[in-house]
Amino acid sequence: MTEQHRFGNTVNPITCHAWNKDRTQIAISPNNQEVQIYQRSGLDWKLLDTLNQHDLRVMGIDWAPNTNRIDSKWKPTLVLLRINRAATCVKWSPDENKFAVGSGARLISVCYFESENDWWVSKHIKKPIRSTVTSLDWHPNNVLLAAGSTDFKVRIFSAYIKDIEKTPEPTPWGTKMPLGQLMAEFVNSNAGGGWVHNVSFSPDGNKVCWVSHDSSINLADATKGNAVCKLRTEFLPFLSCTWITNRSIVAAGHSCIPIIYEINENSQLFFVAKLDTSKRKKPRVCLP
Amino acid sequence: MILLEINNRVVEETLTVKIKNAQAGFAVLKNESIDITVADFDGVLYHISNLNGDKTKIRTSISLKFYKQLQEHGADELLKREYGKYLITPENGYNVSVLLDLENIPDNWTEVVKKLGLLKRNCFASVFEKYFNFQEKGDEAQKRAVITYRDDETMYVEAKADRVTVVFSTRFRDEDDVIIGKVFMQELKEGLRASHTAPPVLFSHREPPLELQNTNAKVDNNVGYVTFVLFPRHTSKNTRDNTINLIHMFRHYLHYHIKCSKAYIHSRMRAKTSDFLKVLNRARPENKSTDKKTITHFL
Amino acid sequence: MSATLKPYLTAVRHTLTAAMCLDNFSSQVVERHNKPEVEVRSSKELVLTPVVISRNEKEKVLIETSVNSVRISISVKQADEIEKILCKKFMRFMMMRAENFIVLRRKPIEGYDISFLITNFHTEQMYKHKLVDFVIHFMEEIDKEISEMKLAVNARARIVSEEVINRRKIQIVQLLNDPELPQLKTGKIAL
Repeated sequence: MTEQHRFGNTVNPITCHAWNKDRTQIAISPNNQEVQIYQRSGLDWKLLDTLNQHDLRVMGIDWAPNTNRIDSKWKPTLVLLRINRAATCVKWSPDENKFAVGSGARLISVCYFESENDWWVSKHIKKPIRSTVTSLDWHPNNVLLAAGSTDFKVRIFSAYIKDIEKTPEPTPWGTKMPLGQLMAEFVNSNAGGGWVHNVSFSPDGNKVCWVSHDSSINLADATKGNAVCKLRTEFLPFLSCTWITNRSIVAAGHSCIPIIYEINENSQLFFVAKLDTSKRKKPRVCLP
Repeated sequence: MILLEINNRVVEETLTVKIKNAQAGFAVLKNESIDITVADFDGVLYHISNLNGDKTKIRTSISLKFYKQLQEHGADELLKREYGKYLITPENGYNVSVLLDLENIPDNWTEVVKKLGLLKRNCFASVFEKYFNFQEKGDEAQKRAVITYRDDETMYVEAKADRVTVVFSTRFRDEDDVIIGKVFMQELKEGLRASHTAPPVLFSHREPPLELQNTNAKVDNNVGYVTFVLFPRHTSKNTRDNTINLIHMFRHYLHYHIKCSKAYIHSRMRAKTSDFLKVLNRARPENKSTDKKTITHFL
Repeated sequence: MSATLKPYLTAVRHTLTAAMCLDNFSSQVVERHNKPEVEVRSSKELVLTPVVISRNEKEKVLIETSVNSVRISISVKQADEIEKILCKKFMRFMMMRAENFIVLRRKPIEGYDISFLITNFHTEQMYKHKLVDFVIHFMEEIDKEISEMKLAVNARARIVSEEVINRRKIQIVQLLNDPELPQLKTGKIAL
């Protein structure tokens, strides 16, 4: 059963949104420099707060479920990103002690809190990113970071910050993980095209899924020697994908309809069902 | 109005009003002075004024830049025949002047006024009449007449025993006019071909017709040549007036309809463009604040 | 609709639907810039391979897609000189009003008569499928409009030339009634 919610009296597209932990609050950006926070009360949504400290359009929002921090800041806290191009996406790490920002400067900033100075500092991951970073996702171990980019590639990096965390346990993606180490690299398409729109680690962290502009949904499994399964679909390109279980994924995008895919024992993807069967034309869909 | 008038209506009406006022009697006493200048096709100017400030003497003068060329072909004689006793010494800066005396209005004044409206046409007529006569006599020895009726636009008339050839060169302001002009000439050519009695009309763009080769006739992209071949049945005494009327206005006629076509195209384009805009604006979502199913919040 | 027009427009419609999947994308070359990549071409990985859909040699559509913008250039049918000038005049007329037409480019791409530039800002503010409808509507109508304008010019030319010819017919009638030329009365003159 889907619910339809309406926020405010706006016809502007919502460019990005993020939920809080128990889904009683949502942060959205109506295609401008504002972030609006709504609080649920019964069937109704009330505007709680508007964050308008940004001077350019908001590209990404992420809400840290436990510590209640929104990136693009609830209480304005200074963050030194040290990037000179637009930030495109942001993700809190599972432990909420770090966040990663992808940007048009062809790099990822990994940010963490430096308590002596009471500010957030960042370390850069640059190589070998060749184009804008479009999406990021953290591995459940709080160290590995998957990044999709418009250079048609998906990469798994280590975002280990020696100063604040213990040496990580080995994973199927590799054992040595200094900051910036490229753990794996997947080419979305050899034939050109196919900007990567979204990447997502499976809940167990062993698989990574991505969707790209060539209308495909892709899966790489670290336990199967990084074997890649590419499923080309008849839909318009997906913009986001998210795992529901270790075996199933929801993807949505320009076709304006969320679709469930499942994974069999051989790590092959297959189509299951469309989630919304109404015929109405809707704007494109992004998943949280 | 599909065909253009060959007379000058302003001249005609101005003179008519003057005479009618004079006839009404009261006007003679307090006749107002007159001084108006009227422009016509081919850079022709009419000037209507009082002779030596005498309010009862109405002088109508015409200036044509190419009057000298017309004189070579007997314009003076033709005008003498048409206007006779009304002709006076031309006003300074004009080629021909005609005087009407309001104290002595002729009985056939309407006819005279009509003729005055045709002053320009009659100046032109001299050339045609002369060459029509050559043709009747079978005189082929005459040189071709060349009349530069506008800057850059020329008319050529040539007589043979069995025909008179009239060629116009005409200048099109832009290339699009040439193409629309071609459409008109094509239709005319086809229409004339269907009617066996009409004279052939030829149109050539850029290059002058055969008759004018080895002359200094212009060759360029914006010039067109219209050739009429007139046979005796068009040049005979009974029909020649009609032929002259039509031919000497043909150039204006063509350009007038090119302009009309362009105006029409323009109005259609404007309508269609606003239609396209309407369709494009349909793509904008309307504000759905009246949607009853949703609970709206006011920011 | 002629047999080849429908599949042509269908192909254009599907290609445009796919091409209009645009994202907001800030320049990765110039700070704080957000320019249509299909125009600036600063990073070649952000521009897709262009597609040409052609109905015949003269009628074709070039669709160039990039990550945040798509450029659609149309070559309109021009069978003869008059259609050529009508097309030229019409396109110039529209392009002079490009600011109203937001998605219209002020200059066409070389080899085409008119170009549209649709960016992610347009697809965010307008319904994508209706933007596609607009382009298709334009393509359908422009051919019709040009041939109707041409017919109108031809019709005027015909009426005008009939008028000229009729004038001449009057001459012949006068001639027939001329007592000095009795031989003509018996002769056969086709009017």
